[in-house]
Amino acid sequence: MVKAWGYLWALVKGAAVTTRHFIVNMWFHTLRLVGFKRLRAGAVTFQYPEVRKPLAARHRSLHRLVARPDGRPRCVACLLCVTVCPSECIFVEAEEDPDPDVQKTAGRFEIDLARCSFCGFCVEACPEDAIRMDTGTIELAARSRADLLFDRDRLLRRN
Amino acid sequence: MPKLTIDGRTLAVAEGTTVLRAALEASISIPHLCWHPAFPPEGSCRLCLVEIEGFPKLELACSTAVREGMKVRTETPAVRESRRRVLEFLLADHPVDCPICDKAGECKLQDYYEDHGLTESVFREEKERRPKNIDLGKNLLLDRERCVLCTRCVRFLREVTRTGELGVFERGVRSEIGILEGRPVATPYGGNLVDLCPVGAITDRSFRFRTRTWFLVSRPTICPLCARGCAIDIDHHPGLPRRADSAGVFRVRPRPDEAVNGFWICDLGRYGYLDLHRRRLTRISWNRGGPAAEMSRAKILSVLGGKIREMAVRGRSSRLGLVLNSGLTVEELRSVRDGLLSRLPEARLWFDDPPPGEDDGFLLRAERTANRRGAAGLGFDLAPFDPAVLGKDLDIILVFGGLSVGKGRDEVLGQALASIGTKVLLSPVETGLEPAFDFLIPTALPSEKSGTFINVDGLARSFEPAIPVAAGVWPEGEFLAALAEEISRGA
Repeated sequence: MVKAWGYLWALVKGAAVTTRHFIVNMWFHTLRLVGFKRLRAGAVTFQYPEVRKPLAARHRSLHRLVARPDGRPRCVACLLCVTVCPSECIFVEAEEDPDPDVQKTAGRFEIDLARCSFCGFCVEACPEDAIRMDTGTIELAARSRADLLFDRDRLLRRN
Repeated sequence: MPKLTIDGRTLAVAEGTTVLRAALEASISIPHLCWHPAFPPEGSCRLCLVEIEGFPKLELACSTAVREGMKVRTETPAVRESRRRVLEFLLADHPVDCPICDKAGECKLQDYYEDHGLTESVFREEKERRPKNIDLGKNLLLDRERCVLCTRCVRFLREVTRTGELGVFERGVRSEIGILEGRPVATPYGGNLVDLCPVGAITDRSFRFRTRTWFLVSRPTICPLCARGCAIDIDHHPGLPRRADSAGVFRVRPRPDEAVNGFWICDLGRYGYLDLHRRRLTRISWNRGGPAAEMSRAKILSVLGGKIREMAVRGRSSRLGLVLNSGLTVEELRSVRDGLLSRLPEARLWFDDPPPGEDDGFLLRAERTANRRGAAGLGFDLAPFDPAVLGKDLDIILVFGGLSVGKGRDEVLGQALASIGTKVLLSPVETGLEPAFDFLIPTALPSEKSGTFINVDGLARSFEPAIPVAAGVWPEGEFLAALAEEISRGA
């Protein structure tokens, strides 16, 4: 019985918080409406899936592999991203590049997003500017772990 | 013994020692590229310049002999400045393609630049383009852009192997390392050039692009492929970051041991031993005609132990045969002698060693097994035997497959074994003999275990496990101890 009163008390508290926010926000909105623009604006809820807030310029979103003009990745498989990755989510296998000036390229390049912590160290470590996290893709939910494994072609497609 | 002072430390060294050697012996580091302890000084890289009191200019540490009362300073501003400038010149024509260089991480030029250089280059000219992928023969690739012309490779082939395939062609700024037309590097010691090269100019095709050096863990062990018993370092990948192939062992490199192998190993040890790690037996199994059934250690121990114990109790130990080999360590052989043979006094014993190969007069010996001196020292009879005698009067036979068991005698051995009731093969690698045996027990390679080998010159060298024991493997020492315990149980 005492426990039930506790729940009710929490409900009342919650309702009070909501009411406070409502009154405070309405107060600022009303002030703005009558011309007091220098005061802070009231909060506005973004209607997320339909309306999107712009991402910050340095926002780290889904990775992409930067391509050379011929469509092959810039990556030379130096494995510095693999070295620096704290989540050990990058897997790279080098192969011989047909271009003798390039010599080495990534035959396989996989990022396991299920492990990735989006720290961006790979981007900073890359000596070739071959990996970036600027695709702006932030909705990354998937139905299986396999769908979270981004391979070379999938990462190149974001160019 | 002349005394000298290096950076305020007074050292006594042998007559004729150079300043660089004296410094290195005292763990004072002086950067050097062309100098290598195996060769007389060359003095071409100019990195080891130091200040010596009484000399008007900086002197080469590698070629200046120590004199009584010499005062050497290695860290004065003038010395540091000269190193910076020398490095700047070396790097002026170096591609700095470290991200794709297999040497990166263990490159001396890279290390020295980190420690002593760190200059913005003042050169604005385009770098010279040279061929980056020249086939030198064997597994060797030459990148002329990365070469700093230390000529270690040339001197190795001239002074150590005396084959002289490589030379410096052209002169001045056009100098380049090369082979004569149609005469590639063919010496069986060519792999050493890769370790010898202080930069990434000579690289190994079998290691090319496979991983980066800093992922590898390097530990000392002994090469078991011939009676020389060269000291080696074995580099393995611990598994993380992830790799597609689980092959953990990537490189075998020589470890300096003046008395045994100097600074070198042969290509048989370098690539042959690497190969052994790729064809391992991985399961204890029971051959029953069809697909082999996997067994647990406890199960096979109780089966074998039971049979052998019965023999011992009934005094029929003469019906047990053991085929050993001198690739086993002293400790394992002692455990056979004191653990098994003391309980089975009449057990029959043979040694099956790989047939002798070619003695190349340098490191590789005809005896292709690591521990014959050790086995002989324990009182074993190492005389070769005719496999046909195995078939007679035996109920159980334990065959310790060496690293090349049954080479050329598979057929004979298989037929000889056919009449024996229980045949057990203990082998680290697949040998092709497996179908002739009832039980297979995968054992450890020397790099996975500890022990002692006594080499052809009677030098004992002990070693510790250098790589983790492969899955399913039961090191011989542990097996023998467990078997001895099982046999004496209830006795």
